[in-house]
Amino acid sequence: MTDDTAATAVPGGPLTEGPVVTAASDIEVDRAALDASIATFVEHNAGYYRKSFHRIHESTSSFPNTFNLWAAVAGPFWAAMRGVWGMFWTFLILEIMAWVQIGRGLWGNPGASLMEQAERQRARADEFLERAEAARSAGQDPERFEKLATNIGRAADRSIEKATVLNSEALNIMLIGLGLLALFKLFQGLYANKIYEKQYSKWRIDPTSVESGFSRRRAGIGAALVAAIAPLTVYKFTVASPWEALNSFPEKPISHGILGVDDETLFTRLATWLEAKIDAAAVAGADVFDGVTAGVRSVLDALTLALNGTPWPVVMIVICVTAWRAAGPRVAIFTAAALAYIALLGYWEIAMETVALVGAAVLICIIIGIPLGIWFGKSRRAYNAAEPVLDLMQTLPAFVYLIPIIAFFGTGNPPGILATIIFGMPPVIRLTALGMRGVPENIKEAATAFGASRGQVLRDVEIPLALPSIMAGVNQTILMCLSMVVIISLIGGGGLGKTILESLQYAAKGPGLLGGFAILFVAMVMDRIVQGAFRQSGER
Amino acid sequence: MAEPVVKLSNVWKIFGDRADEAMAAVKSEGLTKPEVLERFGCVVGVQDASFEVPRGEIFCIMGLSGSGKSTLVRHVNRLIEPTSGTIEILGNDISAMNARALRKVRAQQIGMVFQHMALMPHRSVRDNVAYPLEIRNVPKSKRWAVSDHVLGLVDLTGYEDRLPKELSGGMQQRVGIARALASDPEILLMDEPFSALDPLIRLQLQDQFKALVAQLRKTTLFITHDLDEAIRIGHRIAIMKDGIIVQIGTAEEIVMNPADDYVREFVQGISKLKLVKAHSIMGPLDKAPGPLGDAPRADEGADLDQLIDLSAETALPVVITQNGVDVGYVDKTRLLRGIQGGKQE
Repeated sequence: MTDDTAATAVPGGPLTEGPVVTAASDIEVDRAALDASIATFVEHNAGYYRKSFHRIHESTSSFPNTFNLWAAVAGPFWAAMRGVWGMFWTFLILEIMAWVQIGRGLWGNPGASLMEQAERQRARADEFLERAEAARSAGQDPERFEKLATNIGRAADRSIEKATVLNSEALNIMLIGLGLLALFKLFQGLYANKIYEKQYSKWRIDPTSVESGFSRRRAGIGAALVAAIAPLTVYKFTVASPWEALNSFPEKPISHGILGVDDETLFTRLATWLEAKIDAAAVAGADVFDGVTAGVRSVLDALTLALNGTPWPVVMIVICVTAWRAAGPRVAIFTAAALAYIALLGYWEIAMETVALVGAAVLICIIIGIPLGIWFGKSRRAYNAAEPVLDLMQTLPAFVYLIPIIAFFGTGNPPGILATIIFGMPPVIRLTALGMRGVPENIKEAATAFGASRGQVLRDVEIPLALPSIMAGVNQTILMCLSMVVIISLIGGGGLGKTILESLQYAAKGPGLLGGFAILFVAMVMDRIVQGAFRQSGER
Repeated sequence: MAEPVVKLSNVWKIFGDRADEAMAAVKSEGLTKPEVLERFGCVVGVQDASFEVPRGEIFCIMGLSGSGKSTLVRHVNRLIEPTSGTIEILGNDISAMNARALRKVRAQQIGMVFQHMALMPHRSVRDNVAYPLEIRNVPKSKRWAVSDHVLGLVDLTGYEDRLPKELSGGMQQRVGIARALASDPEILLMDEPFSALDPLIRLQLQDQFKALVAQLRKTTLFITHDLDEAIRIGHRIAIMKDGIIVQIGTAEEIVMNPADDYVREFVQGISKLKLVKAHSIMGPLDKAPGPLGDAPRADEGADLDQLIDLSAETALPVVITQNGVDVGYVDKTRLLRGIQGGKQE
């Protein structure tokens, strides 16, 4: 642009041409290009914003040094017009708060209910006075009625007094509202240019998606939003008894309007329809569901047989030795202590049932999850399609899918394992896919270049290199499955979860806590052993 | 000359979803690269590349990043499918092969070395080198024997049981070269093998590699972005720019007669002393000044360095001979111009 900038090292050229820039303080700010860009950004009223932005750019303190009168006066309308939507929403809400206070002060009549009460009391006092009059003319003693009348009259006076106090506070409320409004306006005036300048900086980076300029259309949108939000809100908060339909959503009249029937709502109709569909599906797919249940049961039975059929000393020794080999002597000692706790308190058999339940779930998760993960790692499209399902499996509260599981698979251990699988499978799928995608492209290419087929690339390169990630996924899955132990007892799952559920039902504190510790120990032992094993394989 | 080992004829590569349409349009209408991008959203990676490499030659493909040289070389073992054109390896059209035959060619006839080594981190050096044999189901005893032998060729005896990450960058790349040699292929594809190494190691490896290839008589396609490296290693050099092969020739041809300004700019900084030979700067004998009886004699293959040594001893020009017969002369002016790179007076 200028000679000053050209002097920055032309390779091979003589360095004496033009003044050499030596220090940052010598560099002149080039205004022309900046001004042109600011003018493009603001479109309207460029002169003012150029000056303001300059002042902001010159400023060395964080305190605002400009005041935008238009932003202060027009408030959210200015923000909408300029496309500063964050500021629009913030100050729309704040200004409505101020307006609600002003409205309450102006016409809100805060003493209204007390005044009404006083009216009623007055009326009653008058009534009693009339009766006293009637009694007197009938020759009876009016004193009782007169006394009542004066008492009630006094109460009415007190109510009026309170009401006037409240009403006199109305002025204060209004003043507070006005004060708040003025404060917000002041803030908007002071910070509008700073915020707008930030938007300008963003716009310079990404001019296509950051809003710029001055638009009547946006002003219209802003006005429409204000019109839809502000009057109703102010009305609802300031009027003593607002329109009923604003208090709660008029769900019944609307469903009646849509359905045209009086004894049904959208909810009841959808619920009955769903129920019928689920029942029909359960009947139609009975064979499939029974098959799945039988398959899961066979895995579970095999594990249960291994853990509970084998003599308990053998199982204990195997577990302790595994802990030693996988995770070292400290974990082995901890494992022995945990097993002793479980066995001495009589939890051995049900603890092994829990291990079998979790083990069966983890096994099935791995058998299904790793191939799926490999597939999703290779095909971006399949992964994109599966991603929402995986999210659903993890975020849906377990209680929600327990219901269809009961409908399709009944109750007991196998449906419990299925529920556990739903919750536990996503991590192993995700981390397998992640690991597959993380395999360096050039190593795969090298294997291909030496004549490897796709299967050989998978076996020799992709799976070995993705293994640490896959193992992390398996570990996550084990922990997720363990966390389902108590929940599946709700649909008839056995094991330690069941003892916890029973203790919960009878508020049995002692057994509940002891059982809870048993679950904790089972979880910790499994976690330690698995983590130790993975750490060893990672080091290798 | 015998049949070329590698032969590319009119190879095009266009990247994008509408590559075939774009190819047809290019053929019928002769679109340029930016036009293809604009009309079809396709990028032309390689544009009409043809060359032949005879047995035992080191053929360098030189270009800056993005010039399409890596794309081009990946056509030779069909890691990238050409959009159009044919590629022949030892007379067989590789683009017509089925997957099985292609894998066989890759495993037996082509070895490849990559810029970033691309060794398998979970396998020992020996198992990395033996991998091409493992793919072909060569028994383990044979694999290990072969891999120990080729590791010996690249001076890595004693490192067989290490993991790649325990080796330095230069050693890792030697493992990569050993792996490419393991199946005793006809052709070596070197994709910027030394670019990621530091300069001293690079020089050592270049010399080692040149000696090795000469000894084993491998036909080599060597990719580099470094003209010095191309001149040092290559028998012939192809210069690529934006997917087009701009010039093919020996180092001397390219330095003395650059095809266009792009190539000229490239060769400017190159030292000509060892590169330019007497025959390309000599003048005809009849124009030679005075009697040349006492003048020093040099063969037409002598380089500028040798001519300078001769010329420094005497005021006379140097007479250039071909098979002992005088054919031309080089005086001081011609010598100095030659050092400048044959600048015309």
